[in-house]
Order: sequence, then C-alpha cells, then structure tokens
Amino acid sequence: MSVARISKMAGWLFGCAAFAFATGAAAETNLKVFVTSQGQPGIWRTLLDQYEARNPGVKVSIELGGTTSDLQAQYLNTVLTAKDSSLDVLMLDVIRPAQFAAAGWTSPIASDMSSYLRAYAEANTVDGKVVALPAFADSMFLYYRKDLLDKYRLQPPKTWDELADAAKKVADGEKNPNLQGLSFQGKAIEGAVCTFLVPYWSQGKVVTKDGKLDFDRDAATKSLALWKGFADSGVAKKNIAEVATDDTRKEFQAGNVLFAVNWAYAWAMSQGAESAVAGKVGVARLPAVKGGEQATCLGGWEWGVSALSKNQEEAKKLVAYLSSPEVSKYVAINGSLLPTYGTLYKDTDVTKAVPWFADAQAIVETAKPRPVTPRYNEVSEAIRTTVNAVLAGATTPADGAAQIEARLKRIIR
Amino acid sequence: MTTTSTVKNGAGGATARRAFLSRWFDPDDTTLAVLLFLPAAILLGVMIVYPVSRLIYTSFLDLSLTSGLPARFAGLANFRQMPDDPVFWQATWNTVLITLITVPGSLVVGFALALLANLPFQMKWPVRLSLLIPWALPLSFAGLIFGWFFHSEYGVVNDVLNRIGLPTVIWFNSPRLAFAAICLAIIWKASSFMAMIILAGLQTIPRSLYEAADVDGAGRVRQFFEITLPLLKPTIVVALIFRTITALQTFDIPYMMTGGGPGTETATLAMYIHQNTVSFLDLGYGSALAVVMFGLSMLVTALYLRMIRSSGAAS
Repeated sequence: MSVARISKMAGWLFGCAAFAFATGAAAETNLKVFVTSQGQPGIWRTLLDQYEARNPGVKVSIELGGTTSDLQAQYLNTVLTAKDSSLDVLMLDVIRPAQFAAAGWTSPIASDMSSYLRAYAEANTVDGKVVALPAFADSMFLYYRKDLLDKYRLQPPKTWDELADAAKKVADGEKNPNLQGLSFQGKAIEGAVCTFLVPYWSQGKVVTKDGKLDFDRDAATKSLALWKGFADSGVAKKNIAEVATDDTRKEFQAGNVLFAVNWAYAWAMSQGAESAVAGKVGVARLPAVKGGEQATCLGGWEWGVSALSKNQEEAKKLVAYLSSPEVSKYVAINGSLLPTYGTLYKDTDVTKAVPWFADAQAIVETAKPRPVTPRYNEVSEAIRTTVNAVLAGATTPADGAAQIEARLKRIIR
Repeated sequence: MTTTSTVKNGAGGATARRAFLSRWFDPDDTTLAVLLFLPAAILLGVMIVYPVSRLIYTSFLDLSLTSGLPARFAGLANFRQMPDDPVFWQATWNTVLITLITVPGSLVVGFALALLANLPFQMKWPVRLSLLIPWALPLSFAGLIFGWFFHSEYGVVNDVLNRIGLPTVIWFNSPRLAFAAICLAIIWKASSFMAMIILAGLQTIPRSLYEAADVDGAGRVRQFFEITLPLLKPTIVVALIFRTITALQTFDIPYMMTGGGPGTETATLAMYIHQNTVSFLDLGYGSALAVVMFGLSMLVTALYLRMIRSSGAAS
C-alpha cells in the first residue's frame, strides 16, 4: 500500500468520524442546569425527566454546588469569570439577577412578566429587560409548635417580646433541657442578612433610598441587641452563632425547637415521614418589634440562562418550562416551594397539600427585598459577619451597628 | 567478545551521529549555552514570570466585574486603599500570628515525631504510615474534620470535656479560642510534613558518629546537641522555608473551620484575597492584596536564605 493511499484512507476515516460526531451532536442537545443543593434537586429532576420525555433529543443534567447561597454564588462567580460555557441554565438567589446581568453573565429572555407576583417580575427585570424567570417565591416565616402553644393556651406571637414570654412559659412548663425557645440563623451566611434586616425593617427603616445609603444606626443597634438578647436570656441557644438555615430546619424537625425562623421549604420536610413534629406545626407571620410593623425578608430563586451557553434557544425554552404555572404548582405541592403566580395560592390542590399557603400570598407580597445593588456581595458580607460577631459576643450591638454603617458607606456611595 | 563489539558499535554509532549532526548544526559555546538554558527560561517565563507580572499589572487596575465598567489604570489606588481597610490589617495580623505560632509549633512536634520514627523499631512501616496520613489528607478535609471536633454541640472535644466534668465551651464564639483551635489543627496537619523531612535528614547522619560518641562517654542529651542538631541544621532550614511560606498562605483550614468568624476575627490574608476576587469580583484590589502577600513570602524566603548562607559560612 502506497503512502498516498494510506493517507487517503486515513483522511476518509477521519472525515467519517467527524461526520458521525457532528450529526450525533445535532441530533441531541445536552443542557446542564445548575441547581442549588438545598433547592430540593430531586423534585427538579422529576420535572426534567418529564421535559426530556416531551422533547426527544434534549437531555438535561443537573449540577449541584455549595450548601448555602453565598457558596453557590462563589462557585458560579468562578465558573463564569473563567468564561466556562458548560452551564446552560443557572438557578439564582433572588438577590443575584441584577448583579449577574450587570456582569453580563445572563442572556435577556423575551417574556411577559405580568402573570408573576410583582416582586419577582421586578427582581428579574433590569433596565427594562427580563434577565431571568422566577423559579419559586419565598419569604421568611415563623414556624411554631402548634401542640405546645395549644397546651399552654398561647397564641402565635405578634411581637418578639410576646415570643420571648411564650418561650419562657413553655420552657418553665416543659422542663426539657433540649427544647429551645427560638432558632434562627446566626452563622455568617446569607440568611444572617435577613436575621438583621427583619427587626430593622420592622422599625420602619430602610437601608437604601433611591440607590443611596439611608442607614439608621439606632435601629440597627436595636436589631442586633434583640437577637443577642435572645441568646443571652436563653430563649435561643448559646451557640446560635454556629447555626445555619438547615440546622434550624433539622432541629425544628427533630422536635427540639418551639419557634423557628425559616423559609417555606422547611414545611414539606416537617410533614415528612422522618419528622418528629408532623401534624404539630403552625406557620405565621414573623413578629414585629414593639410598636413596629411585622416585616419579612423576600426570598426566592430564579432561572437564568448563562450568556456563555452554546445552546441559547434550547436553554430559554427549558427556562420557560421550569418557570411555567404547571411547574410552579408541582413544586408547591411536592416541595412546599411558594408559587410565583398569585392564582396558585388559591388553587385547591395546592392548599390541600400546604394549607397555610392560602395565607402566604399576602406575606410574600409585602416581603421586602434586600438592598438592590451590583455590589450586593459586599453589602451581604458586611452585615452577616457583623451579625455573627455580635451573636458570638465578639462585638457589642452598638459597635456592630457602627461597623455595618462604616462598611456600607464605603460600598454604597 | 560480544560486549566489546557492542560497545564499539555503539561508540561508532554515536560518532557517526555526531558527525551527521555537526554538518547541520555546529554551535559555538555561547550559542550552545543559550540553547541549553532556553527550555528552563521558557518554563520559568510561562510558569512564574508571566503570572507574577500579570498579577502586578492587574494590581494597578481598577477592575471590578460588578461595576460593569471596563478595566481602567488606577495607579497605586488599590494599594492606598489598604491602610484604611480594617479587615486587611486584621487578616494580615492573623496571618503573621498563625505563622509565628504554627511554624515553631509544627517544628517542635515534627521533630519529636521524627525522633520517634527514627527509633530502632522492629516494624517501621506502621510508624511511618501514621506519619504520612495527616500529610496526605487534603487541607480542606482536615479543616472540616477539626471544625466538627470543635463544634460546640456535636464535637468530640466538648464531649471529652463534659466526660471529665468540665463545662461545654463554644469554641467558635470566642476569637481567641477559635484562633487556638485553628492553630492546633494546622500544627497537627503540618507536623507530619516537618517530621518526614527531618526524618530523612536524620537518616543521613552516619551511625558511626554516635558510636564514636558512645566510646568517648557522651550521653544521649549531649549527642543530640553536639551531633544530631548541628548536622540537621540545613534540613531544618529547608523544612522551615517550606512551612513558613505555606503558613503565610494559610487558607483552607480556617476557611473550613470558622469561615473567618466570629465576624472577621480569624480571617487570613489568603481568605481576604479569595473574598475580594471570588466573592466581590474586585480583581484589582484582590490582586493588590496578593502582591502584598507575594512580597511577604519573598521577604521571608530571603531572610531564610541569608540564614543558610551565614550558617554555611560559620561551618
């Protein structure tokens, strides 16, 4: 065989392989979706399986990363700064679409936002462009042990003082050293930002006004002192500075907590087979500070399409499905994730599975968003590390409030 | 006979090849020197010179991905920001403190472990394997484990304290205790590395020196100070250089154990660089901080090298 013939054959073979590869790739689109590990990936997998069945030629895989919102953001920051195109769809905390759009990491999506709850339509629209679609709504609620409140003839508290009194009364009666009065997030995670903001807002204060810093140091001191007071008086446990969101969920589910500050996802698990408190859980609006208004933190997650994705059209199609009323209803029933469509809060299938959702819409609609700025990560860091330091006893509430103010002044100018 | 002929053939082949090569390629000494040096220079350029110059270049830029603005030359602005940044000072101080505590700490513990491993055991491998395990464990995993150990509720440390009648300690609530826990974890992790290097050094000391010392009637302690320690000096300095530089770059263990908490009380410089670049996407300031850390590492290495040179001159 001559050299020319061999090279000709090799070229032919190579051409065949390339052709096979190219046609194979055209026949199947592989999409990779980044899902937060606490966002109940199992439920999304089921929905993605259905999507694959309906769309032959599309395969969707899930990538998980990070156990907290800030770790996930760090992961995505690294991937996207490196211009990695492997992720097509990104599940983003409600605080991030603005920031990701500013960095040019998400593609605009053509969508009518009028059927979504207003807060989510706003959170996902930046400079008139829709940058992501809502996955599920959320806000912080007060979970409580209905059985124990009934036993001591107590009503769900409307103020934090009432909560402390109720916790004391139940603790005195139960004499159970394992029962905590209140569990909330004191670890330096994103949840601790809400921990700080809830009583701060309750005093009628805001952090930013028209994009400018409008910080009230006295209200901040009172907010930090309120939480520290819970730890000092024994309403919350002494190591509250170690507690993250899912720690609160687990301890409540194990029956060791009377009141818990948590997001909607904790409901489904508290009613599950492994829960010690199934059927004994009540959910209410978060209490107010004395003389203030009840306030809560707006949460929720969104679906963004990575600007680096090589499958823009398919990814946008998938995002539209994941954000559809059908999916919103499914995750409400199966994962107790709050719907992003107002109409679903009255849906009988939903209220049968999660009865308290009937009253949740009003709460979600009045929940306040955290400060909107592209430099949100720095804002968050300044607040959550200070909350953590105050709860650990490393800083006083007054010093902590001054530190937050000083740091926010450098960030929001 | 066969052997000789092979050698002859081989040598003949080499000569022929050289003749063939020299027809095409016959450099003078200078060119040859340059050519031989070239691979190393390219490697050095790609692996060290380029990244470091790029880092220094970025440190002069106003480059923040959250601003949405293109990179802009900012002169020394990033460096001028540092003196007013309390977290920078805290992180730098913590880093220096970690270095000052864990370098001597791991040297002493590592030395003791090396001496132990050097004892004439019948079975040497279990001892050496147990030395190797902490070193082989990934840093972040070590941090995770020690984080669990010191957890106030589920940790083994408080369990032991409670069993002997002492009260529960919330380690990560107190900056000092959290810091102590971190240093302990680092010493545990780093000692085995020190031990291995020192053990290698110990084994190069000829046994005959000790035998001679025995004959002269020198005791064990005297042997240690007159033979072991002086002969180990170069080994110890090398181990110290490695350990000090890694101590200055401490990241994983405190990151996993405390995340820098409570507040920012246990944050290190490397963690602060990570935070500015990865979380805040402020690549300019992050790079400037990294330049400072790089300078610190260079300074320390230079000091050690000077120490070696002076000790070499003395002996």
